[in-house]
Amino acid sequence: MDDLRIKDLVVEYSDGGDAIRPIDGLDLKITAGSLVIVLGPSGCGKTTLLSCLGGILSPTSGCIEFGDVEVTALDRRELIAYRRHTVGIVFQMFNLVPSLTALENVMVPMWAAGWSQRVARERAHELLTRVGLQDRMTHRPGDLSGGQQQRVAFARAIALDPRLILADEPTAHLDFVQVEDVLRLLRELATGERIVVVATHDTRILALADRVVALVPPFTSTDREPETVRLTPGSVLFEQGSIGDLIYVVSEGELEIVREPAGGGEELLKVATPGDYFGEIGPLFRMPRSATVRARTDATVVGYTVEAFRERLGTSTERHLIEHHEIDTE
Amino acid sequence: MRMLITALRDLQWRRRRFITAAIGTGMVFALTFIITGLTHGFRVEAQHVVDSLGIDTYIIEAGAVGPFMGSSRFPEAETGVVARLPGVESAIPVVYGNTILQDRRSPQNVNVYGVPERGSGMPPIAAGRAPSSPGEVAMSSTLGRSIGDEVEIGASMLRIVGLVGKSTTLAGQANAFLTVAGAQRLMFSGQPVISAIGLHGTPRQIPNGYRIVDRHAAVDDMVRPLQGARLAMSYMAILLWAVAGLIVGSLIYLSALERTRDFAVFKALGVTTKSVLAGLALQAVLVALVASVLGGLLAMVLGPLFPMLVVVTTSAFLSLVVTAVVIGLLASLAGLRHAVAVDPALAFGGP
Repeated sequence: MDDLRIKDLVVEYSDGGDAIRPIDGLDLKITAGSLVIVLGPSGCGKTTLLSCLGGILSPTSGCIEFGDVEVTALDRRELIAYRRHTVGIVFQMFNLVPSLTALENVMVPMWAAGWSQRVARERAHELLTRVGLQDRMTHRPGDLSGGQQQRVAFARAIALDPRLILADEPTAHLDFVQVEDVLRLLRELATGERIVVVATHDTRILALADRVVALVPPFTSTDREPETVRLTPGSVLFEQGSIGDLIYVVSEGELEIVREPAGGGEELLKVATPGDYFGEIGPLFRMPRSATVRARTDATVVGYTVEAFRERLGTSTERHLIEHHEIDTE
Repeated sequence: MRMLITALRDLQWRRRRFITAAIGTGMVFALTFIITGLTHGFRVEAQHVVDSLGIDTYIIEAGAVGPFMGSSRFPEAETGVVARLPGVESAIPVVYGNTILQDRRSPQNVNVYGVPERGSGMPPIAAGRAPSSPGEVAMSSTLGRSIGDEVEIGASMLRIVGLVGKSTTLAGQANAFLTVAGAQRLMFSGQPVISAIGLHGTPRQIPNGYRIVDRHAAVDDMVRPLQGARLAMSYMAILLWAVAGLIVGSLIYLSALERTRDFAVFKALGVTTKSVLAGLALQAVLVALVASVLGGLLAMVLGPLFPMLVVVTTSAFLSLVVTAVVIGLLASLAGLRHAVAVDPALAFGGP
């Protein structure tokens, strides 16, 4: 049985000079025959994870093993063979080739694998019949509905009977009738030794899953009393990339808000002084912290939950929170 | 290799653009072909005249560069001296000059050849007979005159007694064949001087102050005045090749840009970069091939309309096809580079 194992996976890249780390130390083990749903909001690293699993993106560090194969140790030529024979991918926008018919789109992986034209045609015919498109084989993608295109994309993904299928947002751009077909297909495919990994933010399909992996941990925030934190010079309040549910108001001292660019080092964004507040975006939008906050001097800050902070600020809208209105420290 | 089907399908998909590019490139190729044909025609035209005279070698003055354009005058009496040299089978006087013919519409240049009426020297007469007196001329059929017509060449009125088929020199100028005495009267005020001695046989020695040149040198002499035009036309041909290359290159580069997502998907599905490149290269080769065939056909249609000889040979056509393919491939390098650089991760991107 070919299980999928992910160990301490880190992916970091540079975006406009800033270091982005969508996946930071991910560990995961998926057993063969599972349908796994990778859940999370946009930008949390779902597609990045699929790219790594598909041998398309090399992670910064960590290891991916599929059965006996260490995917992260494969060279370029081996990765092409891995992508061709082991992985089937269903892309978010279907990504069918517009100049090819449905039949020819399904034949592409078989052409790449060197199959004969006759055998490839028969197999593509069989697959399109299986997904209910026997009457649309000679149509080009532009003449197919979104759901039909999605089914062609599925047929293409399973053309070489891969053991790992990756589907990126397979229900996006589909109406509810089409979604039903896709769900049925997904469930059918995750049988035997095959693993199906679906990246989505569509919580409707969670019931299908054998396992759900939330890339951003569940955001728990309970109403509690404001929390006073005292800091000595150099001590860190929170780090870039961490998850937190408190918004901080500076009571005393100075704190520096710094961001770690891609090339290393630090970039000072702001020095927070009494009356300033920071850290509101993460809790509000359930995102990781985008910067590190460290005390410059002896400092005291008070941490508020979002609800408590709204009361403190006297507003109920996010807009007022992020516009940084004056706050009374008394 | 089966992945090449995707390239052919893409050609069908964007057929209007490809057809437009192939026609455009084909027209450029046709021009290139015609210019090359014209350049080649200069030499073929000269070769045709030299062959029609039927003379093996020429004796010219040592300081002259050829028997025609580059000749210098010497006494006709030398012909008798040369004729008696050991190894010489026959020797004839040859007179050459270029003068003006007062045509019905405008004056035009004619090449005057003075050769004996019989034997080698006088080209085959297509109609009528060879001139036998100084007042008679055998004219090139390109002049459009008939036997019996009178033409004013230089200061003389001559009667056309024969026609020579399409005989021209110096890029389409008509040839006029006269007797030696007729040509001497027309070109040298009747003085008994000649431009060269035409020979059959190989003389074992040559008189002092003279040298011997073969037909190849005679052809070189005849095309020498066209050397500048030939060079200019070669430059134009190179520029046209560059334009054709740009058209094919732009087409393939645009195609590569528009197919970035397709290439990313192919790579993500395990298609090798080599296969992707082969598809693009195939498109460039096909466009170049279709354009060169179109260019060849156009050149065959347009060539005869030119007032000068356009020589389209099979070898020139094959060279054009091979050069077109090479230029097409070179021009598509930018597109190929783009295809190599496409990251398969792009396939995961949004619309």
